[in-house]
Amino acid sequence: MNFEIDVNGRMRLVTVERVPTGPHRFRVTVDGTPHAVDAVAVEADTISLVFPEAGGASHDVGFTNGLSASELVVYLPSGTLTATVNGRRSRRTAETAAAGEQRIVAPMPGKVVRVLASPGDDVAARQPLVVVEAMKMENELASPRAGRVREVVVSAGESVEAGRLLAVVE
Amino acid sequence: MRKILIANRGEIAIRVMRACRDLGIATVAVYADCDRAAPHVRYADEAYHLGPNPPVESYLRIDKLIDIARRAGADAVHPGYGFLAENRTFAVACRDAGLTFIGPTAESIALMGSKTAARQTAIRAGAPVVPGTESPLPDGLADADVRATAEQVGFPLLVKAVAGGGGKGMRTVVEPGELIGAVRSARSEAGSAFGESAVYFERQILRPRHVEIQLLGDHHGTVVPFVERECSIQRRHQKVVEEAPSVAVTPALRRQMAAAAAAIARAAGYTNAGTIEFLLDQSGQFYFLEMNTRLQVEHPVTEMVTGLDLVEWQIRVARGERISIDPERAITPHGHAIECRIYAEDPDGRFMPSPGRILSLKAPAGPGIRRDSGVEAGFEVPIYYDSLISKLIAWGEDRAQAIARMRRALSEYEVRGIKTTIPFFQWLMTTRDFSEGHFDTTSLDRELAARAGRPFVGAPEEAEELAVIGAAVRSYLKASASGPSGRQASRPNSRWRNAGRGEGLR
Repeated sequence: MNFEIDVNGRMRLVTVERVPTGPHRFRVTVDGTPHAVDAVAVEADTISLVFPEAGGASHDVGFTNGLSASELVVYLPSGTLTATVNGRRSRRTAETAAAGEQRIVAPMPGKVVRVLASPGDDVAARQPLVVVEAMKMENELASPRAGRVREVVVSAGESVEAGRLLAVVE
Repeated sequence: MRKILIANRGEIAIRVMRACRDLGIATVAVYADCDRAAPHVRYADEAYHLGPNPPVESYLRIDKLIDIARRAGADAVHPGYGFLAENRTFAVACRDAGLTFIGPTAESIALMGSKTAARQTAIRAGAPVVPGTESPLPDGLADADVRATAEQVGFPLLVKAVAGGGGKGMRTVVEPGELIGAVRSARSEAGSAFGESAVYFERQILRPRHVEIQLLGDHHGTVVPFVERECSIQRRHQKVVEEAPSVAVTPALRRQMAAAAAAIARAAGYTNAGTIEFLLDQSGQFYFLEMNTRLQVEHPVTEMVTGLDLVEWQIRVARGERISIDPERAITPHGHAIECRIYAEDPDGRFMPSPGRILSLKAPAGPGIRRDSGVEAGFEVPIYYDSLISKLIAWGEDRAQAIARMRRALSEYEVRGIKTTIPFFQWLMTTRDFSEGHFDTTSLDRELAARAGRPFVGAPEEAEELAVIGAAVRSYLKASASGPSGRQASRPNSRWRNAGRGEGLR
């Protein structure tokens, strides 16, 4: 079975085949490099991987569903990564993020405590535009890149839901 | 004392209930709408609904809490920390209702809750205080007089709210020109945050360490100070890591600080658990900063190095017992303990809150590890309250072992579904400044600014490779489970499937 898997913006072509050497044995070929893998699904969407030909290295890899159907959040002891399996190339989204208008949305529900920019203001990358209070903390929501504020659609004192548009920078 | 109402939620509610259970005392939980399924509700012997989610309509509702305590037949109330823990009115309301408030008296809360009154108490006790004004700036003081007062204190100085806390109503003034504006904005911020706009001046101690002394006082005149905690690792004035003992405190300094703390507590007629906070400057001189008239978030590190249960002692003191702790034991650290505050925040997204449902949770365990948690898998971390979800505490024979165990525990700790500060602590525990103990209260903010948002756990090549292989195998297994043979296996009562599951788990 073949998959296209993107992690950190790099796409890999991966082939998974069962091999007869054991009940959980697979050959997983990543961009032409084969790996002998012993893989077992364990509790709560976690796969235990043992690499019999790489010194018996043992790793647990955990998963939850990501934001889209093809996206997976991958949990490793060293941290968390996002993998896209047979999805659209994430490079495309990275390109759109870097150019064009920027919609600054509330990442969590909360209350707008301050508005720091007005339409027409020139702002720098990472300059805070709106302060939203949630979980007893004031959180500055910043422009992802330099540009000009086209509109600010909330005012101080307003309650906002997660995903609510706060401002647009172009 | 037979039954205690815990006027709090989350990890601290459970922490208090555990001490109650150890003492054979029944527990009463309270909950807002969104906390119906919360672990603290289910841990308690009894649970009562408080009201809607906003704290002012639930965990801050004194009238409802007193009413529930009466209905439940509780004879005492433990406030935890935060919410009503340092609210004089609540302590009075409990007393008036015939309930024992497990904490200091309402008078002590009021006295030490005013920063200027607390400073005066410390001066009376002969303890060193940060140079500053001894009373609040009078209302309507002419600008020229404000300037003259500031000149006497010296620059840089801090304008601080008398009723302050958590960095609110506080301004740093480096140059005289900024003074008048800073006083005005501190007053207005303090007014809206605390309902009291009074401010005073304190000279700013440059790059201090935050070192505090836990103490316990009983109703028979005993005050026992404990080995210090260091809480210099702060992000925007909020503690994130605490440890005991401090690498900057010698046994001689420890005795001096403990004696000063005990003297202040005696001067305040203080009973129950409290903490005297000091700033320690680079020359080793310490200054009284303020007193916290409650159990603190970081109390476990003191418990780990003394083997004493502070919450149990709070309850015993509240029911009139004499403190029988050997003072030498309280002041002598046994090993070293470190606490990391695990918040539902995204460390790689400027520490933005990350509320939501926890899909799965793997808790660390093993030698030297303690975890005080208020959440579990399936629980939805609400947006209404503090984002602290658990505290991870590591004890070691020495600091190096405590750090090693903390690193091990952090790597075992896995929370799926929400972002947490675990990756941030994994990074912090590997930094040289932390392992060598080179830090002050300003270090972390400077270091974070210098990182400019760089991710805390840079995924090494190996991690990416594992993610790819794991994701591929998972997709393969999913695809074959839903293929022709998979459909067959998914029929109800498939013994083959159950056998296959057993095989997989073996």
